Amino acid sequence: MRASPFRIGLIGLSGAVPGILVAVVLFLAIFSWPAIQFNGLGFLVGKTWNLGNLYANPVKVGGFLVPHGAQYGILVFIVGTLATSAIALLIAVPVSLGVAIFLAEGVPGRLRPGLSLIVELLAVVPSVVYGLWGVTVLAPLIAHVVAPGFNDVLGFIPIFAGGSATGFGLLTSSLVLTLMVVPIVTATIYSALQQVGNSDKEAAYALGALKFEMATRAMLPAVRGSIVGAVILGLGRALGETMAVLMVSGGAINYLPRTLMSPISTMAAFIVSQLDSAEQDPTGMAVRSLAEIALVLFIITVIVNAAARLITRGLHVGLASRG
Amino acid sequence: MQTDGGMIVRRRSILLGTIGAGAAGVLGLGSRPAFAAEISLLETGSTLLYPLFNLWVPVYTAKNPGVRITTQGTGSGTGIAQAISGVAQIGASDAYMSDPQMKRDPDILNIPLAISAQTVNYNVPGFNDANLKLSGPVLAGIYGGKITHWNDPAIVKINPGAKLAAHVITPIHRTDGSGDTFIFTQYLAASTPEWANSVGYGTTISWPPVPGGIGAIGNPGMVQASGQTAYSIAYIGVSFHKEIAGAKLGTAMLQNRDGNFVLPTPKTVGAAAAAVEDKTPADERISLIFAPGPDSYPIINYEYAIVNRRQPNEKIAAAIRDFLAWAVDPDGGSAAKFLEPVQFLPLPPKIAALSKQQIAKIGRTGT
Repeated sequence: MRASPFRIGLIGLSGAVPGILVAVVLFLAIFSWPAIQFNGLGFLVGKTWNLGNLYANPVKVGGFLVPHGAQYGILVFIVGTLATSAIALLIAVPVSLGVAIFLAEGVPGRLRPGLSLIVELLAVVPSVVYGLWGVTVLAPLIAHVVAPGFNDVLGFIPIFAGGSATGFGLLTSSLVLTLMVVPIVTATIYSALQQVGNSDKEAAYALGALKFEMATRAMLPAVRGSIVGAVILGLGRALGETMAVLMVSGGAINYLPRTLMSPISTMAAFIVSQLDSAEQDPTGMAVRSLAEIALVLFIITVIVNAAARLITRGLHVGLASRG
Repeated sequence: MQTDGGMIVRRRSILLGTIGAGAAGVLGLGSRPAFAAEISLLETGSTLLYPLFNLWVPVYTAKNPGVRITTQGTGSGTGIAQAISGVAQIGASDAYMSDPQMKRDPDILNIPLAISAQTVNYNVPGFNDANLKLSGPVLAGIYGGKITHWNDPAIVKINPGAKLAAHVITPIHRTDGSGDTFIFTQYLAASTPEWANSVGYGTTISWPPVPGGIGAIGNPGMVQASGQTAYSIAYIGVSFHKEIAGAKLGTAMLQNRDGNFVLPTPKTVGAAAAAVEDKTPADERISLIFAPGPDSYPIINYEYAIVNRRQPNEKIAAAIRDFLAWAVDPDGGSAAKFLEPVQFLPLPPKIAALSKQQIAKIGRTGT
């Protein structure tokens, strides 16, 4: 077969995607290698992040030139990232399922295009807009209404107790993320639901199913794979979201959240907030440690993705064995 | 048939080639600023200097139509970093660069443009008009997590008569790299040995864990967070005095080196500047924090333009020199009509002369 320029072009382009991914990982790994050696495993379990004294002469610690007092531990940010994403998905997935089913089955046909357009529009709103809304509307609401309410009603459970002085923190960040995740997940599930054949639905009705039963028993099982895919998509957005979370997280460092209202930091937001000061570190160890955070964030994303895919495959196998 | 196919492929490859050449042409054009009729400068950094640059730039560019200046309030850390990397021509910073940094980037100049101060503001309902008194050790206690309530004996002792209730203090700090963090923590370090030995100072520091204490982005973020959080405390650049008043925050009287409690006024800021100006070295990197003298306000600083003295070409260098020289000129950017609205003080004549010497050093690569 003759190699046409078209074919070569396509091979080049398709090879570029994994190529870029590998290049990014390689760059992060090579660039952060001194930090990986300097930090060791303490990086993942340490709670203290300290750039050290950038205004004093650097000192040699374990063979590495670092600012005096430098110490890099990111447990706080790992916990912040996973906790906000988990809470966001916990709320977003049921809501998205409901909205998607409503759009597919509960809405008169004439209204459907308009409503689904609104959902898709929500997905393209820049994150800084959600962040600003979080700062000006949600945070005061959490501080003055939600947090005191939780304290009064559910205060006997430690994570709901104590109230919140500022409204910035875990719950606010999670809710902002929820708002950003719902449109993506909804749109994906909705488009999958539209593919469900009429015969499946009619079969369910023929067996005497109500609309709700038809939706939950016939439609949802048919799009199970798409639902997991949609959740992965939403999780990806939640794990990596930077600006909106930075604005409402409260920017906690050096301590773990104790309640839903505690200030937190996520890995992505923390990299952004620290990068400029880190660049002033003449030894470069601070920037390399930030690159190491990026590497860890990437690895976490891959693990979460792989786990979700395994679950999907398990579901398919389960369905097949039942059939 | 075969010939036809070959023709199509050939035509496509010609098309691809044309697109490629077009793209290269566009890229080539973009990398040659000499094509531009105007000179564009980017100023980025300190949110404290940002309001002043926004007063300066329209007036200056009206007089100099060949120059376009973009201003950004991104935090002093960004200002320093982007001046070094070359993204910005002028980095605005409330902090000067450290010795180890200067060793790494010896071509970077730290040029004072004006004298600024920082206020410590609080939101304690009922006391926001009262100018509560605070000292370095008390602030170090609050930000260090040792003083947690407004009725702590250390606060009550210096505010006799103020009936402060047992409300939890929410200390607010800057999340982004900030010259305000730099000068605030310098005050804590200079006045409180314990803080100097444990936390130290910098544009970003490792804040002691104070559960409930939060970070905010930029001076605007500090004003907003403090305004909507009762019983909070924050450190904010004096150029935000209008926003501070708008949020109805209280301004603290701070204890100076001589033990007196003072508010930031032209008199107290000027007294502090006069006490330390003679110590300013030729490269002008010096802390003005915690100056001696009975009237000296303890948190003042030079506002710096961070500039690489080796610019890509002489045209850009000349534009930067001209703008900065105008900025420190008492008849130009340092006139009262610019500095008073942001409550900055002009540089004393001696310091302005030092700044002009540094501005004259800005040239092109290879000089």
